[in-house]
Amino acid sequence: MHRVLGDRRAIAILLGPALLVYSLIMLVPMFWSVGYSFTKGNTIEGFTWHGFGNFSHLWSDPNAHQALWFTLKYAVVVTVGQVAVGYLLALLYVFFLRRASALIRTLVFFPMVLPTVAVGLLFKALFQIAPQYGPINQLLVDVGLHPIDWFSSTGTAFIVLVIMDVWRSMGFYAVLLYAGLVDVPDDILESARLDGASGLRLVRHIVLPLSFPVLMSSLIFSINGTLKVFDSILPLTNGGPGNSTTPLTVLMFNTAFDYGDYGYGSAIALLLTVVCLLVTLVVFRVSRRDLTKG
Amino acid sequence: MIATSTRSKRRLLGLSASAAALTLLASACGGTGGGASSGGGSAAPSSFSFLSATENTVDRAVLTSLSKNECATENKALPLSVQTQPQANLNEKVQLLAGQNALPVTFHEDTPTTVVQLAQSGKVENLEPLLQKLGVEDQLLPSAVSTVKELYNGQLDALPAEYNIEGIFYNKQIFAAHGLSVPSTWDELVADAAKLQTAGVQPFSASGQQGWPITRLIGDYIFRDLGPNAMKDVADGKAKLTDPAYVAAAQKVADLGKAGYFGKGVGSIDYNTALNTFLTGKAAMLYMGSWALSNIGDPKQDSVGAANIGFMPFPAVAGGQGSIDQYPSNIGLGIVVSSQYANNTEVDDWLSCVAKNYGTDSLKGQSTISGFKVNTPVPAANAVTTQVQTTMSTATSSVLWFEALFNAQATTTSQQDAAPLVSGSMSAQQFMSAVQNALTSGS
Amino acid sequence: MSTGTPTRTYAPARARRRLGLGRLTVRVLLTVLILIEVLPMIWMFLTSLKSNSDYLNNSSWSLPSHWLWSNYSTAWTTGNIGLYVRNSALAVFPSLLLLLLLGTAAGFALQIMVWKGRNFTLLIFLAGLMVPVQMILLPLFTIYTQAGISGTLWPLILTYTGANLPLTVFMMSTFYRAVPREMFEAATLDGAGILRSFWSISVPMVRNAILTVGLVEFFFIWNDLLVALTFTNNQNLSTIQVGLLNFTGQFGSTQYGPLFAAICINVFGTLLIYLFLNQKIMKGLTGGAVKG
Repeated sequence: MHRVLGDRRAIAILLGPALLVYSLIMLVPMFWSVGYSFTKGNTIEGFTWHGFGNFSHLWSDPNAHQALWFTLKYAVVVTVGQVAVGYLLALLYVFFLRRASALIRTLVFFPMVLPTVAVGLLFKALFQIAPQYGPINQLLVDVGLHPIDWFSSTGTAFIVLVIMDVWRSMGFYAVLLYAGLVDVPDDILESARLDGASGLRLVRHIVLPLSFPVLMSSLIFSINGTLKVFDSILPLTNGGPGNSTTPLTVLMFNTAFDYGDYGYGSAIALLLTVVCLLVTLVVFRVSRRDLTKG
Repeated sequence: MIATSTRSKRRLLGLSASAAALTLLASACGGTGGGASSGGGSAAPSSFSFLSATENTVDRAVLTSLSKNECATENKALPLSVQTQPQANLNEKVQLLAGQNALPVTFHEDTPTTVVQLAQSGKVENLEPLLQKLGVEDQLLPSAVSTVKELYNGQLDALPAEYNIEGIFYNKQIFAAHGLSVPSTWDELVADAAKLQTAGVQPFSASGQQGWPITRLIGDYIFRDLGPNAMKDVADGKAKLTDPAYVAAAQKVADLGKAGYFGKGVGSIDYNTALNTFLTGKAAMLYMGSWALSNIGDPKQDSVGAANIGFMPFPAVAGGQGSIDQYPSNIGLGIVVSSQYANNTEVDDWLSCVAKNYGTDSLKGQSTISGFKVNTPVPAANAVTTQVQTTMSTATSSVLWFEALFNAQATTTSQQDAAPLVSGSMSAQQFMSAVQNALTSGS
Repeated sequence: MSTGTPTRTYAPARARRRLGLGRLTVRVLLTVLILIEVLPMIWMFLTSLKSNSDYLNNSSWSLPSHWLWSNYSTAWTTGNIGLYVRNSALAVFPSLLLLLLLGTAAGFALQIMVWKGRNFTLLIFLAGLMVPVQMILLPLFTIYTQAGISGTLWPLILTYTGANLPLTVFMMSTFYRAVPREMFEAATLDGAGILRSFWSISVPMVRNAILTVGLVEFFFIWNDLLVALTFTNNQNLSTIQVGLLNFTGQFGSTQYGPLFAAICINVFGTLLIYLFLNQKIMKGLTGGAVKG
């Protein structure tokens, strides 16, 4: 009895505009971009056929390898950081703060809504060494340690990036995960407690498995964002020192618009897309059997 | 579907339809910036727009002053409008604008190869015929014209808004206090820096965020050591940056960084901070172009005082093929003119007014020497300006700079990696091969 | 609730849900947490009131020697913040409107309507979730230029709408999953057309969901940098993010006070909007739009 719900004209009217915009802005450009990746040139000079040249360049280009490696490293570390800290916060909200948690949740969530560039500039100032010590270095000096030139080496610049992005988004994941934890039924916890489980064991054997589905969706959500990181990098390190904090997204942007090579830029974008797809599939696969169980 | 309320249905239809129509509408409306054909057309601009590198305050100050005084009439017909873009992203911005047919009437561009490319695709005007047509080609200094042509593949693709030589500005008081004399060789320079460092004075102030104040040192060392054609050889493929003699130059500069002569956190020091550090007496030396005379002459920025600042040429390298009187020279960023607006009467009026008055205004208002003739004599603002002017007029030959003949990718790589080079996280060998790779792989 | 959006916001009171950490430990943890969140903002605010020499010569932990409120007027006038906020709003709200309109309609068509190929269509939309904007940037750049709409805010509006449609459609169809189909069949038999049912029955039912999606998308789009950086070819079109990024330069970067003041205006401005909308955000997120 789906006659009225199968009205073709209605479907066309409802779905048509969305499909049209989606096709024009996403689908067509996607294939177009794949086409670009077989060319060399840009809109100013025009395009010439380049065959698989861009892809073989991708294969041998140390900058691309660096960017791919950085993208993966960044995505894994920040995702784990965001979700882990978020989870701890969520546990804190649910088990210790309970009703009083609303205020804290609001506070910790707040950085998420700030313009990323503002946060980036703020952290740059917090960690700066010259012309004046920023608060962090001042603190180090005050307790008798040496100040650190955070942005001069890959390792420390990476640390600041991770700290910033975890600071920025832990509240968001805390709220997402909180929603999952609140759903854990009281009686299960109660009976587990009666069986003698407590503390970490309770978390590991009862809470964690029960909140697994929401943990997984947070993970997918997070990794999809961190693989595409762009606006955290630009204001904070601008890809430096050297190109050591340049992810694929920034490399693509520079290649296309600074070096004027749309073809190679598209090839990098394609690589990024493939990475996103693969990573999502892997995470999804890993989580799937447990998701169906949940 | 019986007896529907047609009115509300229509409203709904209207909503979805209008969403779809927006897309179509979008392609029909707008288009204020684009649409103009490239290649010598004469579209009418709405203003005499100038995209300036943020760090370069001189050119836009001169243009603004012209718009209020000598070129007030032209400004009335076509008002000057200035926008700024940090130099680190300037090339990117210009490429983005060019791709959208949205280049302003005039703009700065720091990568000569991009200008050449834009000129080849008809986006940038070859100014020689235009200035001849306007009868103002004699307003340009012949030496500046030849520098421009050297950069832009033999064409006059930019106005020499500045005509600079580069060298090392030093704080005379600090030098005197530590009993130092002006070094004439690289080794003496390093020895002086060492003395200053032990005495607790920061020897050099440099912006690692910009990168070029550091790579200029590498380039100059190469010119002094290997002769004035050294970088041309690299561009022509006759030599590679990874050749030992080139790597040695990078190593010399890396050594300065390793010894801490650039001070703390050189990678995060931006242009203005570097300038400020020197002008407030916190560093003894600053490698900079003569455009800095405008900052040196400004008592608000310069608490050391122009009288206490001296200028020395980049020192010679013992046994090198170059010589100390080959000054690194350039035309600043060069003001490029878009083809799509050139030959428009109002734009041309502006250009000829600029050609006639820029030289005087620049020297008078900004103490900066331009590549235009100075038609009204201007007394020099201070001793160091005189010194630089004398040096310029007596210099017999000049050299370019490290990145002058590089493509965009190599330029970016070089300037990006300058900070890691002096902070020690990148070796001289790594630095030079990264730049050489960019040079080879970039278009 | 039958609206499809769970409305539970706060954990029900749960007596003795303790994991065995001492009260003191919790207190300490909480204090640290609050400090981590609040200190950077306080520091930034204090710094925004410092003069240049104050900033350069005194410890970064010191209080401003004079409270230089004029930094704010400098930031506002020289920094063009008003203009940037206006541009952001002009780009974000039309996109948001389009997104919600198209997304809700598509979600309805994909979840409530019954037709062959709807799963496949949903899948096509879902695929878009994983595609980075970089992948569509260059062709769009060409398209907008050819269409002559560069130099306006249209490229931003169109790109935001298209690129965020997958998430919107996905979330809206998730919400519609909770709405029983029979309701529309009955309504339609009552004499209302299905389009009318969509508008007058389903839309009010998923009102909260629309709000949630709208909020999530708002912050996504408001905080975009990539698209805005690519398509704003004129400073007068800069959005907040692009404006801020070029800020350091605009102030010649030696004017630290106004720079921090500009950041503060953005941060505390957002704080106001946030406090105003906070309840909705929390409700929406805990409601499980992204719970999977």
